[in-house]
Amino acid sequence: MAIAVFFVAAAVAVLGGIGVVAFHQPIRSVLSLVLVMLALSVIFLLLSAQFVFAVQIIVYAGAVMVLFLFVIALLGPARELGRGRLRYQGWASAVFVVVLLGLMWTMLQGVQYRQPDQTNLDVFGTVQSIAVGLFTTYLYPFELTSLLLLVAAIGAIYLSRKRIDDADGGPADGLGPAAGVGGGSPPTSR
Amino acid sequence: MARPPAWGEGLPPLPDKLSTLNIGGSELDASWFLLLSAVLFGLGAVGVLVRRNPLVILICIELMLNAVNLTLVTFSRQLQNLDGQLFALMSLTVAAAEAVVGLGILVDIFRLREVEDVDELSELHG
Repeated sequence: MAIAVFFVAAAVAVLGGIGVVAFHQPIRSVLSLVLVMLALSVIFLLLSAQFVFAVQIIVYAGAVMVLFLFVIALLGPARELGRGRLRYQGWASAVFVVVLLGLMWTMLQGVQYRQPDQTNLDVFGTVQSIAVGLFTTYLYPFELTSLLLLVAAIGAIYLSRKRIDDADGGPADGLGPAAGVGGGSPPTSR
Repeated sequence: MARPPAWGEGLPPLPDKLSTLNIGGSELDASWFLLLSAVLFGLGAVGVLVRRNPLVILICIELMLNAVNLTLVTFSRQLQNLDGQLFALMSLTVAAAEAVVGLGILVDIFRLREVEDVDELSELHG
C-alpha cells in the first residue's frame, strides 16, 4: 500500500517537475509546481513528517504559490522569445545536468546509513515533538528565523513602495529605489 | 511534557538493512526517496539554466529547494531523529523569505521596463 502511494506520488512529482521546466507560460509552470508540492507533501506524510506536511501545504502550496500567481497576474502574461544570447547554452546545461545526476547517483551508491536512533515512531514528527526540539535545542535558530522573516518583510515593503519621481510617467534615473521620498499621500497602485 | 518512551517497550524490531524504512507494514528503501529528490533537483537545475524568464527561474529555484527538503526529511526518518525535520522547516522559511524578496525585486524591475530575458539585465557586468 505504502509502496503504491509512494510510486504514484513520485510519478506525479516528476511529471509536475517536467511541466515546470517545459511549459512556456509562467502560470502553467506555477500550477505544475503546486502539483509537485502536493505530491511531495504526500511523501512527507509517508515519511511520518506530519507537521512538515501541514506546513508544506499551508505555506508553500498556499502562501508562496499564491504570491507567485499574484505577481504573474500583476505583470501580465510574458512569453519567452526563443533563444537567448549565449550560444550552446542548452547543450552546455544538458551536459552539466547529466554530470550532476551522475554525481548524485554515485553518491547514492556510497551512502553510509547510520544505525538509527531508536525512537517511538508513533510520536515521531508530531507537532508536540517538533515543538520540543524547536523551543529547546534550536531556540536560537528559531528566533533568528523570525528575524529573517522580519528583514524580508521590511525589504519587500521597501522594494515595492511607489516612487514619487516616477509618477509623471518618466522612468526613474536608476534601477534602485529613489532616496528621500516617503510620507505624503499613501501609496496607491497604478 | 511526556518524554517519548525508550526503545524496546513493545516497539517493532529494527529491519535488517539500515536503509529500509518500515512504513505502514510495507518496506520502502530510503534510496528511492533520495533518487526522487535527485531527479527533482536536476529538473530544477535544468530550468534555471535553460529558461529565460526571471519569474520561471525563481519557480525552478523553489523546486530545487523542495527537493533538498525531501532529502532532509528522508534522512530524518531513516535516522529516526527529528533534527532533519527541524532543519527542513528552517529551509522552508528561508525559501519563503527568498521568494518574497525575489518577487519584490522582480516587480520593481518590471515597473521600469518589460523584461523577457534575464540576459537583458546585464548592466552590472563591469
